[in-house]
Amino acid sequence: MEQLLQHLVNGLVLGGTYALLGIGLTLIFGLMNVVNFAHGEFYTLGAYVAFAGLALAGVNFFVALLMAIAAGAVLGWLCEVTLLRPLRGESIDTTMLVMIGLWIAMQNGELLIWSGVAKSIPHPFPTAPLVLGPVAIAPLRLFVLLLAAALIAASWLLIQKTKLGRAMRATFQDRDTAALMGVGIGRIHAATFAFGSGLAAAAGALLGPVFLAYPSMGDLASLKAFSVVILGGLGNLPGATIGGLLLGIVEELGAGYISSGYRDAVGFVIIILVLLFRPSGLFARQERIA
Amino acid sequence: MGKRSVVLVALLLVALAALTVPGESQAPIKIGVIEPLSGPVAASGNYVRMGAEIARDWINAKGGVGGRKIDLLIEDNKSDPKEAASAAEKLIVRDKVPAIMGAWGSSMTLAAMPKLEEYGVPMVVETSSAASVTKRGNPWIFRISPPSEMEALGLERYVDKLGVKNVDFLAVNTDWGRGSITAFGDMLKKKGASVGVAEYMDQAATDMNAQITKIKATGGDTLFLTTAVEQITLVMKQAQEQRLTRKIVTTGGSSSPTQLIKQAGAAAEGSYHIVFFMPWFPEAMPDGKLAKAFVDEWAKRGHPFEGLTEGFRGHDGIATIAEAIKVAGKDDPKAIRDALWKVSLMGVNGPIKFEKDGPAGKESGQSQPSIFIVQIRDGKVALPDFLAKK
Amino acid sequence: MTRAGGFIVAAAALTLPLWLASAYHVHVAIMAAIFGVLALSLNLLLGFTGQLSLGHAAFFGIGAYTSALLTLKTEWPFWPALAAAVALAGAAGWLIGRLALKLRGAYFVLVTISFAGVISLVSVNWIELTNGPLGLPGVPAPELFGWSLRSKTAYYYLVLAALALSYLVCARLVRSRIGRAFVALRENEALAESIGVDVTHYLVLATVVSAAIAGLGGSLYAHYTRFVSPEVFLFSYTVTMVIMVVAGGKGTLAGPLVGAVLFTVLPETLRAAASWQWQMLAYGVLLVLLVFFLPRGIVPALQALRGRGAS
Repeated sequence: MEQLLQHLVNGLVLGGTYALLGIGLTLIFGLMNVVNFAHGEFYTLGAYVAFAGLALAGVNFFVALLMAIAAGAVLGWLCEVTLLRPLRGESIDTTMLVMIGLWIAMQNGELLIWSGVAKSIPHPFPTAPLVLGPVAIAPLRLFVLLLAAALIAASWLLIQKTKLGRAMRATFQDRDTAALMGVGIGRIHAATFAFGSGLAAAAGALLGPVFLAYPSMGDLASLKAFSVVILGGLGNLPGATIGGLLLGIVEELGAGYISSGYRDAVGFVIIILVLLFRPSGLFARQERIA
Repeated sequence: MGKRSVVLVALLLVALAALTVPGESQAPIKIGVIEPLSGPVAASGNYVRMGAEIARDWINAKGGVGGRKIDLLIEDNKSDPKEAASAAEKLIVRDKVPAIMGAWGSSMTLAAMPKLEEYGVPMVVETSSAASVTKRGNPWIFRISPPSEMEALGLERYVDKLGVKNVDFLAVNTDWGRGSITAFGDMLKKKGASVGVAEYMDQAATDMNAQITKIKATGGDTLFLTTAVEQITLVMKQAQEQRLTRKIVTTGGSSSPTQLIKQAGAAAEGSYHIVFFMPWFPEAMPDGKLAKAFVDEWAKRGHPFEGLTEGFRGHDGIATIAEAIKVAGKDDPKAIRDALWKVSLMGVNGPIKFEKDGPAGKESGQSQPSIFIVQIRDGKVALPDFLAKK
Repeated sequence: MTRAGGFIVAAAALTLPLWLASAYHVHVAIMAAIFGVLALSLNLLLGFTGQLSLGHAAFFGIGAYTSALLTLKTEWPFWPALAAAVALAGAAGWLIGRLALKLRGAYFVLVTISFAGVISLVSVNWIELTNGPLGLPGVPAPELFGWSLRSKTAYYYLVLAALALSYLVCARLVRSRIGRAFVALRENEALAESIGVDVTHYLVLATVVSAAIAGLGGSLYAHYTRFVSPEVFLFSYTVTMVIMVVAGGKGTLAGPLVGAVLFTVLPETLRAAASWQWQMLAYGVLLVLLVFFLPRGIVPALQALRGRGAS
């Protein structure tokens, strides 16, 4: 029983991570229809910016986090405007290919700049774990979970309650009508991509100190993000949140009770099963599946 | 439209050019180096490369081999066996290198091995630990790193002093990790210890909490950990978070204790590490002067100290090949291969001399590298408590 | 592609080993041909039915492992092992096709990724069968009527024959009624269904043939490199195939071939031209540039060029 509780807590913290990644991608993939293989690279970027801020410039944790989000958003905006906008009419595979190229270029650029040695990112939290009964959790992880929750809530508020959010939803539901209503389509696309990338960078800045920063850290992150997006339903923020948490818990339980070698397989099998029985994702309403 | 065709033509020309450019001139002696310089283990591959470059510069400063300078042709195997084989092919056929050092990971080395036999070119293996590398009957392979079995034997005499009775294993899910578990498991069982669970982690995994939770539940006294330094850092931090209190012993020589202290801090306190080079006490190495000189040169070049525990492999590999070329008297692959059986030199790790290993008639060469054990105590790397003088 | 052009290309391909500068170049040519087979197979799904399989490396890997295991452990001769590899990969394709019955677009993609992920983990963990991460070294070279096909030149002709066969199969399929059904599926599935095209049946068929051909590529790969390890399931192999198909020109028959040659030669060219620090970075940048200037792919761009020139 003790083990089960610990596994659940581990899974929850991990899942919060996946949720954060998933939200950014569900906007880009779900709404903009861009197969963004470079999403994980924005995650990595966030971690390295946080490293630069904390270890090299000596700023405090929140400033570093903001720097990371800003870096992700700015670079995301740049990428949308220079790479995606000119290819707007092309097929989804073409944009996917551009994103693959960006992925390769970014990752190897990072390798060149930072070298392959993993960087440890300093953080202000004590390392001794908080003990709540049979369960132990590091203060940093708890903080990460709380911040992730805050970011998720903020994102949801932005999409649902602000003018920008309404414009985004309008653009992706019915572009022509939105344009007729005076929405600047180009700006919305750029803003959405920037927003999603900023969130990915935030995830990287939060998780960097928990783990380590190294150039290929984004690969697995990308893959998990895609899984979360589809589990939760494309473009569905609450769905991505819950999907992320679920994936984390299921993976953790699978690794704990079935086999650690097959840990990731559990996640994959769950995805396959979900898609077989609820193809539009666990939480989407009646959506067309194509 | 013009822009497009120009790009197209340019691309095609580049492609064609690659196919027809002839090889370069032959005056210096060329040695091929195949390492993972990009991908998940890029750090290690680059450390080995840095060590190799030091060896090259030292040898050339002393006049080279037989009056000819050494040139290192460095290829990236991108942590992919297919690329390792391609790199070997290119080095042997296009660049006509008479000898190679590589290819770091065991599966990369295994993938390149058929090319060695096909063209008859020897390769010095500097890191791979899978037993099969020298047991496959490839007479062009000479390994200076220890296979896991040898490593386990090196630890055998300390097992009682360490007080190991109930062991669990956590290893990276590759040939290296699995081989390590088998080798150490067998050795420990022979010494009367009992083995609990063997858990694995994916090479790219960052969250090992599930495995740690399981290990915690066995109530053992020792955890043997085999993976690269980044994952060791993560395991230690997460073990600390879960209040796992037991001895940790890392194997495989890639633990870079200095980096661990920096990144894992207090979580690394008390842990033991099997290493093949002790840059903290170079004087304690078999050739203290050489070891110290290597450490100093490494620092002079601004390379990170943590890389020394892997960088020395590059040095020893190149030094071995250079020595063989000297003994052979020419840079011909077969002559170098024959000479490798005769070399006896002192590397940073210790004496290098090849014994026969593998099926009769097609033996590979295996050297007997020195194996050391250190401990992290009071935030510094020290000799283990059971060895330190009172 | 004009007939004269096709004839020249075929002649060049047939005499390649004679005029290439070295065995290394033949090696590159062999790898290009193997990837040509793989690219053709992915193109069937991606280019013609419009479904993206991002787990294609799974079929490749299944073919490689089947062929290697049968020749290594049960000592089958090469040709039956090859057939088994094709069959087993095709069966896996059938499984995916059936599983993904109602799934399209992003969901199909995810199922293929997940499937590849599971198979990859099985290959790493099921040590008794696959030898896990240590891989299967020493896969024997093929033999034809007692002649060993170990030499590069011989192997080149083997893969060239396989490539030609795959091309022919794809061409026949695509130009037949089945091919038209594929395109209907791709262009407007609802409409196709409404005029009586059994969409599911054709999707499954496409997946099976695509997977089978990928399995062929896997077997050829295994017996050339003579070493199979779980890395064959690496996502990067799938990504490479996707790059080849899309950059070459999906939905065309020559596109994947051009893509395969270009993206096999390019990394090797970069190996020679750039020092290792810049190789992959240059690769990424070049890819972005290529997509930018030729968003439909190389072959369609060439066709457009010729179209304009003719008129």
